[in-house]
Amino acid sequence: MSINQAAAVLAPGRIHVAESRRDEQKLWLILFQIKGVRSRLNFLAMQRWMFAAIALLIGAIAVTFFAAATFGPLTFLVLAIIVTVAAIVGIIRETMLVSTTRASAAQAAAIADDRAQMAGRLATVLALNEAPKRSALWAYLVEDTYGRRENYEPSRIEPQWLSRAFYLMLGAILLAVIALPAAQLSQGLRQRMASSGVPMPGSVTADIANLDIRPADPALQPNAQIYADPETLKKLADKLASADNEDHQPRGLSKLLDKARDFADTFQDKLNGIDRSRANPLRMRLTDSNPGQPNSPKNSNSNPGNPGGANGGGGLASNSPPGGAGSSQLGGGQGQPPMTSIPPQQADEMASKDAAAQPGAGSDQGANGTDNPAEANDANADGGSSHGSGSDPSSLFGPVSDQPLGSDSFKIAIEAEPSDESSSRGSPTYVPPRIRVPLNSLQYPDEPLARTAVPDADQDTIKRVFER
Amino acid sequence: MNEAQSAAIAELPTIADFARTFRRIQAELHKVIIGHERAIEELLSAFFAGGHVLIEGVPGTGKTTLVKTLGIALNLSFNRIQFTVDLMPADITGTRVIMSSVDGRREFSFQPGPIFCHILLGDEINRATPKTQSALLEAMAELQVTVSGTTYPLVPPYFVMATLNPIEMEGTYPLPEAQLDRFLFKVRLGYPGEDELVRIIGATTGPEEAGVEPVFETAEAAQRIEGLKRLVREVLVAPPIELYAARLVRATQPANSRILGDLHAPLTVDEVNRYVSFGASPRGAVALILGAKVRAMLDGRANISYDDIDRVAAAALEHRIMLNYAAHSDHVDAAHIVEQVIKAVRAMRT
Repeated sequence: MSINQAAAVLAPGRIHVAESRRDEQKLWLILFQIKGVRSRLNFLAMQRWMFAAIALLIGAIAVTFFAAATFGPLTFLVLAIIVTVAAIVGIIRETMLVSTTRASAAQAAAIADDRAQMAGRLATVLALNEAPKRSALWAYLVEDTYGRRENYEPSRIEPQWLSRAFYLMLGAILLAVIALPAAQLSQGLRQRMASSGVPMPGSVTADIANLDIRPADPALQPNAQIYADPETLKKLADKLASADNEDHQPRGLSKLLDKARDFADTFQDKLNGIDRSRANPLRMRLTDSNPGQPNSPKNSNSNPGNPGGANGGGGLASNSPPGGAGSSQLGGGQGQPPMTSIPPQQADEMASKDAAAQPGAGSDQGANGTDNPAEANDANADGGSSHGSGSDPSSLFGPVSDQPLGSDSFKIAIEAEPSDESSSRGSPTYVPPRIRVPLNSLQYPDEPLARTAVPDADQDTIKRVFER
Repeated sequence: MNEAQSAAIAELPTIADFARTFRRIQAELHKVIIGHERAIEELLSAFFAGGHVLIEGVPGTGKTTLVKTLGIALNLSFNRIQFTVDLMPADITGTRVIMSSVDGRREFSFQPGPIFCHILLGDEINRATPKTQSALLEAMAELQVTVSGTTYPLVPPYFVMATLNPIEMEGTYPLPEAQLDRFLFKVRLGYPGEDELVRIIGATTGPEEAGVEPVFETAEAAQRIEGLKRLVREVLVAPPIELYAARLVRATQPANSRILGDLHAPLTVDEVNRYVSFGASPRGAVALILGAKVRAMLDGRANISYDDIDRVAAAALEHRIMLNYAAHSDHVDAAHIVEQVIKAVRAMRT
């Protein structure tokens, strides 16, 4: 007879109580392990959320800084918006995920059942341990589950302490470590190129024929120096005057885009640590691809004699006689970079030179231009690209044209619109067909005349003829 | 736990006893029945779960032999009724006849029909008229027979196996849905494979017949079997698993049934909506849980798992799903529907 059997004979009630207490202890241990599994799973879920959120934030900031140093304002703005939205969506998604993956006790038991191949024992113990009436097989279930307790130890169910999202965070930090210095390097390179006078990819050469001039946005602080020959500047002045008279206020999408660009520009400057008020001015060389042509019709309607009308902060003043290619005077206002009348070669040189001049240098030049008109006239005398544009004999002769001559016919643009001349209203308008008539044997195709050098001896004669 | 409960538990066989007995019966059956392992396991599961079985199989696949062998192995009384069109209810339930007593008096005495036994084989049940079928179904459901206003109880364990011949359907009376629903499982007996056929030929054409040994003594057979059946009922079921079984049954019901209306089921399966006229009834859920309990005990567990439910789902639900014409035209069977339902509901496990 064993000790237990003897005890059962001597004190059966006490044995029963002891067995019952032992069963309770086993049950408590099972539930404790389920709790441990749950804590471990939830700890990992929390880690995952935290690391993923940090990774998303770091990644988004790194990409934003890189974009600020690398791209233009609008591209930067679009990219920044995309990155910000992606980061917010990612964090929200992770938060939702962690709230759904956060394991309850029942879920932890189910997971443990699944991973430890306990075939629902843990879930059943957990679900029925507080049932008022227990089955005859309850003790068997507890004993069976307790006997397999090594299978569902928390360290076996979830061996890892650190979430894999930690590596995601490390990756994001690595990205930031690479991207931020790269952005600074790129920015520094651009600044060095600008300060060394090397023509940068961003250097601007504009053609006056393609300029769409509008009044400046009052919110902007222009910081540019414009170099061109006097005639081109004269055209620019005409355009400015014309643009000032027109309603060029941006509307709708353009206005929004302007605002977005301004915002992105300011934001980008702040991220890059750039103070535009102390930055070197943009040097823009203005060219004229059609020196012989007058301004566009709408610009030519403006009064050429008064081209220097108020234009934002600083306008352009001209003292040229009407119709002549007179000298332009720059009415550089306070803080407004001037437009300077210089020969093309000099303009090129200046455009490529180091912008050693401080931000106020443009103003000084502008002031000089205003105070010393003779200098401007001298520059104008050197220019002379406005030949043929008026009756001034001194403007008759210009440089020899290097325009290649071709055998193509020339085109004459006629501003005309087909009018409704049909017999009945609403009928289709007759549009004459395009006909190319072949030339006969006595006809020759039209050819542009090349501008040639006029001998010195003949120049006085020609001038005299024109003076008459 | 009070003393009465403790005593009841002490009388119960253990899970190990159950598994051992089950495997022994299985082994005895396999002495005669070659192959059909799954069918035999489902048949015995239904037996210990306290249900009845509908066996579908072509002629010659061993349906009668199976039932006969089961009767021998369990050492229980066994009867067989061949259902025909002219079979009357009284032919199976029994009838009152005038009998002469010892003292010469004549009185009506009840002569029990073949239905009074432990194991009954109703062969080709769909050949009898609905009236006769319903007489059997009353006995199945209520474990009693009513003849001339007198009710006679049937002695447990009571187990009915009805066979359906899927061919030669002319002149048959297919069982209505309500009657099909009373069978716990539907077991399919298909043709044996080549190897199995060779073994069948060897076992049945030799001079010696396989000797089936009874697992229980005659006197204690019924009592022990009832004890095992009570033990099955004690198996624990966690609420999530009950929910899973309920969801499986709900998922077999089409969402837009013209009779039942919109069921607002949490899950709708496309195949069910397209091919099913009526899904499983609550008896289907009961069958799932009872069958799973037997499965759990065979695995040595006191609790059922999701896999136990999945394992018995086909046998418990297939005959409870009424397919529509579209299913027949698309050659979709109930087994496919159950498969899709399990796949869909499995994703919703806790």
